Amino acid sequence: MTAAPSSVPAVAGGAPKPAHKPARGPWLKIVAMRLGLLVLFLGLWQVASLGAPAFVLPGPARVWEAWSALVASPGFWRDLGLTFQRVLAGFALATVVGVAFGLLLGASETLGRFFEPLLTVINTVSSSIWAIFALIWFGLSDWTTIFVVFMTAMPLILTTVWQGSKTVNADYVELARAFRMSRAQILAKIYLPTILPLFFASARLAFGFGARVSLVAETLGASSGVGYRLRQAADLVQTDQVFAWTLTLVALMLALEFLVLKPLETRLFRWKKRAEID
Amino acid sequence: MAAAVRAQSVSKWFPLRDGESLHVLQGVDIEVEERSVAAIVGASGCGKSTLLNIIAGLIPPDRGEVFLNGVPSKSFTEWRSLTYMFQDDRLLPWRTAAQNVAFGLEAAGAPRAERRERVAETLALVGLADFAEAYPHELSGGMRSRVALARSLVTRPSILLMDEPFSKLDPSIRSQMHDEVLRVAGLMGMTIVFVTHDVEEAVVLADTVVTLKPRPGRVQETHVINLPHPRDPLSAEVAERARLLRRSLQS
Ligand SMILES: Nc1ncnc2c1ncn2[C@@H]1O[C@H](COP(=O)(O)OP(=O)(O)OP(=O)(O)O)[C@@H](O)[C@H]1O
Ligand SMILES: [Mg+2]
Repeated sequence: MTAAPSSVPAVAGGAPKPAHKPARGPWLKIVAMRLGLLVLFLGLWQVASLGAPAFVLPGPARVWEAWSALVASPGFWRDLGLTFQRVLAGFALATVVGVAFGLLLGASETLGRFFEPLLTVINTVSSSIWAIFALIWFGLSDWTTIFVVFMTAMPLILTTVWQGSKTVNADYVELARAFRMSRAQILAKIYLPTILPLFFASARLAFGFGARVSLVAETLGASSGVGYRLRQAADLVQTDQVFAWTLTLVALMLALEFLVLKPLETRLFRWKKRAEID
Repeated sequence: MAAAVRAQSVSKWFPLRDGESLHVLQGVDIEVEERSVAAIVGASGCGKSTLLNIIAGLIPPDRGEVFLNGVPSKSFTEWRSLTYMFQDDRLLPWRTAAQNVAFGLEAAGAPRAERRERVAETLALVGLADFAEAYPHELSGGMRSRVALARSLVTRPSILLMDEPFSKLDPSIRSQMHDEVLRVAGLMGMTIVFVTHDVEEAVVLADTVVTLKPRPGRVQETHVINLPHPRDPLSAEVAERARLLRRSLQS
């Protein structure tokens, strides 16, 4: 049976089979719902701002004005760029160290057992405490923020890679050994692809945490960057500035998620068989 | 003629959790001539996979020695000329069919262009040219076995070890695969050692069939099958040889 004769009615039993391609209806509905939520939010914000002084809660129009002015101001891109650089540097260091040590601890049970408590300790220390230490050690410099981002993101990545390398399928390693692959090849061709989905999830989390604590670090230990500007605005009770920066950061994180991470994830994990429960 | 694979009084024990050990192989002697096909048959758990793992150099024997092309396997260096098809297909789920086949060549570090050509050639050889870009979960069981076979053939080995490679295929595809393997083996001048449960499969493919007795696994008999190829699995001669083998296994 290869081709159904065209005389057979497409619809049997009265109900059409659900189409497997993405349907248009629900998609439009979702857009409408998102827009509705946005309108509702703006409306409530507007109403609330009418009953409060501008330094407590500025209205949407005022924040929009402040944001337009902020984006046009010469320092905006510099501050944004500085913060982004610090987050990226801390995150990159955390990735290198986390992946390297995660693989090492995963590969050696003795090392793993030896270092396990240390990791627990690092994980229990709050990011704010790292920020204070960083301030003492590095003073007002880029390294304060980089260090705090690093200390927040690194244990997360390390733990995931470590745990992930324990889930590597021994049969695949045996296969690679049967083909006489070197240790480095086994790491690159069996371990890394196994760990990649877990790593991706934890890196995304680590980057988010890192980006958030970077602001805390900058309010304490920097004389530039978004965190520093936020603190300045707070000191001067420029609430609309605080809102404008917040808006910028939210927009950036959304853009990162939908323009970089989601497409990357889809591309990297094309091979995965999707579990469907419905 | 020289033996491509020779196992000499190979014994193996596996340590068990309670400090005891399991005696899996006892003084196994096997000799497989160059360019011939040998089958190993025996009950489940009698140590067939363990024997292949020892021949492939994946686990060491506790006693005895294995010679490959006349060289003791400890000092054997031409591992690229020996490949091993495992009992399960072991396709890497994150690689396409073509990339899985290429895995066989990557250890050797062949140049990319040559690799691509060899992979395409080998996929065509097993009739999967159109599925090069499919991921394992998109392939049927038979297709997956053929990808695994292609991965074993892509290095052009002189010795091919196969552990029940076709047990999961339905009979018509299985006999198609038998023809394929014999054709390719003749083409490349390969020596094949394969394990099977299926005595008919052993008779159709092999020049010699070794039967193993279980607990501990040891050689019971070596049968020489000198029927001309191609062998019809439904012919009277094949049925007669299979009957003899079966009787030898049951005694
Ligand atoms: N790594 C191991 N550690 C301990 N025992 C093992 C190990 N591998 C195999 N065994 C045991 O050795 C015996 C032989 O196993 P083997 O896999 O070689 O059998 P087999 O003949 O290939 O069986 P089958 O036909 O079912 O594949 C079995 O009893 C098995 O439980
Ligand atoms: Mg087995």
